[in-house]
Amino acid sequence: MNRLELTGLTKNFGGITACRDISLTIPDGQIMGLIGPNGAGKTTIFNLITGVYQPTGGRIYYDGQVLSRLRPDQIVDRGVARTFQNIRLFRNLSVLDNVCIGADRHESYSLAAALVRLPYVVKKEVAIVERAMEYLAVVGLNDKAAIRADALPYGLQRKLELARALALKPKLLLLDEPAAGMNPEESMELAGLIRRVHGQYGLTILLIEHHMDVVMDLCEKVFVLNFGIKLAEGTAEEIQTNPDVLKAYLGEGYRRAGNKQDQC
Amino acid sequence: MLIQTLVTGIAIGGIYALMAVGYSLVFSVLNFSNFAYGSIIMLGSYIGYYAMVKAGLPVVAAIVVSILGAAGLCLLNERLAYSPLRKRKASSLYFMISAMGTSIFLENLVYATIGARFNTFPEVLAQRNLQFRGSSIGILDVFAIVFSSLAIYALHYFLQNSKTGIAIRAASYDMKVCELNGVNISRLIGWVFVLAGGLAGISGMFLGMKYMVYPTMGWITNKAYIAAVIGGLGSLPGAVVGGLILGILETFVSAYISSVIRDVFSFSLLVALLMVMPTGLLGKYLEEKV
Amino acid sequence: MAAYITGIIIFSLIAVIATVGLAIFTGFTGLFSLGHAAFFAIGAYTAGILTYFYDVNFFLALFAGGLMSGFVGLFIGVPTLKAKLRSDYFAIATLGFGEAVRVLLENLNITQGARGLPGITAATTLPVAFAVAALVIWIARNFVRSRHGRAAIAVREDFVAAEMMGINLFAVRLSSLVFSAVCCGVAGGLFAHYVCFIQPAMFTAYLSTQLTAGVVAGGMGSITGPVVAAIIFVAVPEALRVANIWRLVAYGLLLVLIMVFRPQGLFGYRELSWKSFRHIPDWLKAWRKSGNRRAKL
Repeated sequence: MNRLELTGLTKNFGGITACRDISLTIPDGQIMGLIGPNGAGKTTIFNLITGVYQPTGGRIYYDGQVLSRLRPDQIVDRGVARTFQNIRLFRNLSVLDNVCIGADRHESYSLAAALVRLPYVVKKEVAIVERAMEYLAVVGLNDKAAIRADALPYGLQRKLELARALALKPKLLLLDEPAAGMNPEESMELAGLIRRVHGQYGLTILLIEHHMDVVMDLCEKVFVLNFGIKLAEGTAEEIQTNPDVLKAYLGEGYRRAGNKQDQC
Repeated sequence: MLIQTLVTGIAIGGIYALMAVGYSLVFSVLNFSNFAYGSIIMLGSYIGYYAMVKAGLPVVAAIVVSILGAAGLCLLNERLAYSPLRKRKASSLYFMISAMGTSIFLENLVYATIGARFNTFPEVLAQRNLQFRGSSIGILDVFAIVFSSLAIYALHYFLQNSKTGIAIRAASYDMKVCELNGVNISRLIGWVFVLAGGLAGISGMFLGMKYMVYPTMGWITNKAYIAAVIGGLGSLPGAVVGGLILGILETFVSAYISSVIRDVFSFSLLVALLMVMPTGLLGKYLEEKV
Repeated sequence: MAAYITGIIIFSLIAVIATVGLAIFTGFTGLFSLGHAAFFAIGAYTAGILTYFYDVNFFLALFAGGLMSGFVGLFIGVPTLKAKLRSDYFAIATLGFGEAVRVLLENLNITQGARGLPGITAATTLPVAFAVAALVIWIARNFVRSRHGRAAIAVREDFVAAEMMGINLFAVRLSSLVFSAVCCGVAGGLFAHYVCFIQPAMFTAYLSTQLTAGVVAGGMGSITGPVVAAIIFVAVPEALRVANIWRLVAYGLLLVLIMVFRPQGLFGYRELSWKSFRHIPDWLKAWRKSGNRRAKL
């Protein structure tokens, strides 16, 4: 079953076309990379999927159902979660509270019950904390639960965002440059973490990244965007040697020195 | 009756337009509603009043003093109450609270020190009315409209032709890029508030002369907010248009329906417009900075 | 003398009830209101009219006052919040709302217009005020400690991220508005039955400012802070025999000073992190319960 399908997706902002006629399919359980130079429209596509923008044309199908006209919070309820390019943590809250806000979605109790703090509310609160701690443990932040979120170093803030998104129990996870600002070692560690949670939670992942090592390591398929239109699609290896992609990223006149593949 | 209502509407609309332009100037550059603007208008009025009554200055000189005084106070307001928040990149809630606090502080300071007396300006322009096609308009109102138009035109000229003016227009589109192009944003914002303050001084003087001078007269700035929405948030020509339209609409409601309902009407209009047509007539609806 | 002190305490408790309500709205959900005095007025008049003209039981009238304020809150909240007004225009809309209520109160027959409503029964005693205040504070704290409270805080902190956490912005904002309206309404009812005479001129934008100042000074994101601040704002000026006008000058100045120098107010986010530390016992309990769950990860 296809977890996500975009058909002819187009978004115009006044005179600017952020993306045009984008069609892609992600089967259940796949990790797909979405790459392209800055300004190519990648985050716009995320914003369209999550309901922040309404498409100007085309459709978005999630689990076979059309997503347009839904509010972002309704889309989250269907099982879509995302992280942000410029980290959007609840900075004044603790690390634990940040994840709890995600975990809250799945332990429901009514407002009336909350106001008088019925016993089952207390039980649910313990369950929420327990679940939140689990997700923190997955990303390795459980010892920092009580710290304010903005006191964390940058790399750990990204991990916190991931834990928070996981707490929503999504089926589709959209990661917007999770390795941004990390050195190669940290990036590969993050890639390993992403692969682990992918397997553990049975996620389908759409990943925007500029760190090619992360993309190559994780992504079964890669979709390349340039100036809002599709440039190429294929496996990681195919994309790496695609001349159009190379030209878009590296400009004309680029020659791959000592290309062993050419010799075979 | 119809023409008379229209004429009266234009007279008050002119003043609304002036206030709305001053308010919109700050709004278009900083994307924030300066709730303290009304109290600056009020202070401008008091300054002009004392210039005339205590120092015995002639009208025009008093207006100039008022302009300078209000401009200075507006700038001071920015430097003390808003600048620290801007440097901290505080969210709009904090700006609003600071602005509200300034407004309450200034109004009540005047109330407590000078007193709640309603002061009247001395008879400057004879209480004659001009007769025009069967309706009359006060000399003062004519003077106000002419002077306001001049002021707005002068502002327009400044914004189009001076280096600072162009920088202000650029900043209203994108402050970051403006800064990257070498503009000293702090000084620019200072200029914006000085200009807005100057306009406030003029508005204050005319409001004071047309009606009276009292500590809570600043609340009339609420009309400026509404005018700005009608004309289109972030647009200066829109502010003028919005001010005139609001003045006319209000006067009609007051004359034909009920004067008590007048303010309720204006606020309902505001809410309705924001729900249905937030860009107003001419504006660019600015997304709130998150 | 004892009666005088009792009076101050009762006024403080009334202020606490209204301020805590507003704290949920402004301090937790992050929406700025300039018109909450209107809810106070609605509660005061509803309760007052019911006991004065219709001999309704005091507590029932109080409840009705709160309910009425809540309904009005719902009525104006739905269109203004659905419209997703930017926060300054929302504030202006609340200002307009306050104006509209004032005009209404001055022109309805049953409220006896600007003359006001004299001779209301003095049913607000110290035990009553204390009990209601304690109840409101307890409920507010339960709210804050629940998933609903967290959702409200998330909306204030970053509403874009909050939406991405599956939080329905409109529902959160509307429910906090209604809650604050009910609190102010109940406080208004208590007020009416203490001063025994109400008129529209008592419920001005300055009252709204006093409440907002209490929330801001106490600290947004805190319940204890606004409680303390509300008490200070009533008790201290009384103790200093400060004239009403200077009180407002002080509020205005205080708001600006707090914004510039100490935006978190008295207790600001500290109550929040204290709560985070309160999580630790829960965390320990949960961890012990889950035992070897970690091995699976």
